[in-house]
Amino acid sequence: MREEFYKTLSSPIWWGTLAIAAIMPFVLSSYYVHILTLALVYVALASSWNIVGGMAGQISLAHSLFIGIGSMFSAALLLKLGINMWLGLVISAVISGILGAVIAWIDFRFQLGHLSFVLITLAFAEMGSIVVEGWDFLGGASGLLLPKDTGNFLAFQFGGGHGAFWMMLGLAAICVLVNVAILNSPLGYYLRTIRDNEKAAQAIGVNILRYKITAMVISAMLASVVGTAYVRYLTFADPYLLISPVITIEIVLFATVGGLGRAYGPALGALLLVPLGEILRGKLGSTLPGLHYFIYGIVVISVILVTPRGLLPLFERLWARWRGPAVAGKS
Amino acid sequence: MSELYQALAQGLLIGATYGLLALGMGLVYGVSGVVNFSHGDFISLGMFMCLALYSAFAMDPYVSIIITVPLMTAIGALVYIFLIRPMVGHQFLMVVQLTLGLSLVLQNGILMVFGGEPARTPSFVESKLIILGDTVLRLPHIIAFVVSFALAIGLYIMLRATDFGRSIRAVHQNAHAAALMGINVGRVQVLTFALGIGILALAAALLLPGTPIQPNMGLRYTVITLLVVVLGGMTNFVGIMLGGLIIGIAEAFGTIYLDGPIGLLLPYIIFVAIMLFRPKGLTWSSAR
Repeated sequence: MREEFYKTLSSPIWWGTLAIAAIMPFVLSSYYVHILTLALVYVALASSWNIVGGMAGQISLAHSLFIGIGSMFSAALLLKLGINMWLGLVISAVISGILGAVIAWIDFRFQLGHLSFVLITLAFAEMGSIVVEGWDFLGGASGLLLPKDTGNFLAFQFGGGHGAFWMMLGLAAICVLVNVAILNSPLGYYLRTIRDNEKAAQAIGVNILRYKITAMVISAMLASVVGTAYVRYLTFADPYLLISPVITIEIVLFATVGGLGRAYGPALGALLLVPLGEILRGKLGSTLPGLHYFIYGIVVISVILVTPRGLLPLFERLWARWRGPAVAGKS
Repeated sequence: MSELYQALAQGLLIGATYGLLALGMGLVYGVSGVVNFSHGDFISLGMFMCLALYSAFAMDPYVSIIITVPLMTAIGALVYIFLIRPMVGHQFLMVVQLTLGLSLVLQNGILMVFGGEPARTPSFVESKLIILGDTVLRLPHIIAFVVSFALAIGLYIMLRATDFGRSIRAVHQNAHAAALMGINVGRVQVLTFALGIGILALAAALLLPGTPIQPNMGLRYTVITLLVVVLGGMTNFVGIMLGGLIIGIAEAFGTIYLDGPIGLLLPYIIFVAIMLFRPKGLTWSSAR
């Protein structure tokens, strides 16, 4: 079952894509590198969310908490207590993991249905944003400003532009690889069983609590780490961006547009939509603020109506149809 | 002591309108099993329509409902027919994602038209105060309370005593059997959704006087509405009104008695606690 994962690891297409992506900063202007970096942030976030939302079928709207802990808390640790951001990254990830485990446990202990899970996680997310906006240690409503990025690697600095791009490329690749690994491991099969029929899964002896917690902890820790890297790239820890439930909604929509529960679906969604949104914002942001979100909304509604399983399966079908006649013609 | 009365009165008054917001969502859920995550954005749409009517014709929010209610009802019907109906019967979560997308569209459509600055819509009652003993009440809150309760009672009678109300209840109890009895289930679902959105236009006018509005406030209204609906046991009429009052009072107590963020958290904490220990909502009897 793990062969698929090792096949991916040794696949030339994978490494080729990564290598081509890695030389992008030398080819593109810094504006497009910035857009690609943002796209990679969302590839990483959507992929990490996919472990819970796509594979286990639990629409968690609490991921803004994990991103928020990873970003706001590690920034606060650095600025208020002078704790190195590498250590802050680890501390935040551990806290996020614990919080994720608690949420998964609550879900299991109280037998929440799908709807209740969405609502409880949304309530947690709202609570998180209220706490951060009202707590000065985390910067309150005005946010925190990180010191300038001088490229000191030991202080979690990557030298802005190019360095941040490579950092994000690495993180996004790791998140997608984790998706591939889980999908092809027993854990992935258990999660999909839980998604498709929780009662039946329990009846055949799947330890639901254990796998739900495992999935949530992995997902939460990844989201937290990405949050830390994202805030270092942004330099400014903005509570209205990083711990607002809107960031989770964006991630959910990217994953849905790309293809839920697939290893490359969320990445595809983010890679298509983030550059589209950013370019629109760059061109029309001053005259029509909110246009890119408006377009995201339209795209997600159209995709759900046309191909509810997302774009990736649609592309696969088109590819198969395009190749189908050619193969038939040969024989 | 006067603080206590103040908090109670304020909470009850605003809570009744929350209950009204939630009734629409509860009805829709009962009839089509759809949870609309763009509910709050329809409220802000209603409010911004009032603002537009005020800036164009200096129309008072209470008067502009003559236009906003039919308009929003029509929008509701169109949204249901073209966006939500194709998804009913699919996986439940797809509707969640679809309405989340709709929420982005509405919120940012409003932002593009009206800009992001907080805006106020004046009304002739805006600053009128009513003083009972040492409790100070704002007239718009009292109007909102009275109208909300009157509407809730009207809805209740409608559900009990009219043919349309009976068909709603029939579809809620068993859509299949209702169809066999000759009820046009699809039509009932469209009309209920339209009614739910139309109620929001009214509630928006009730909440508007004295409240600064912003395009991005929809999500918070959605969350409040969801809290109330879930507290009320999703489809239980009395339970939902009760849930509205509880959330309203929790909010008022939280802001008056507790300092800073904890005060704002109180409604959510109460919600999570009730959700965990009474997952079917506050009312005991199995919801009808």
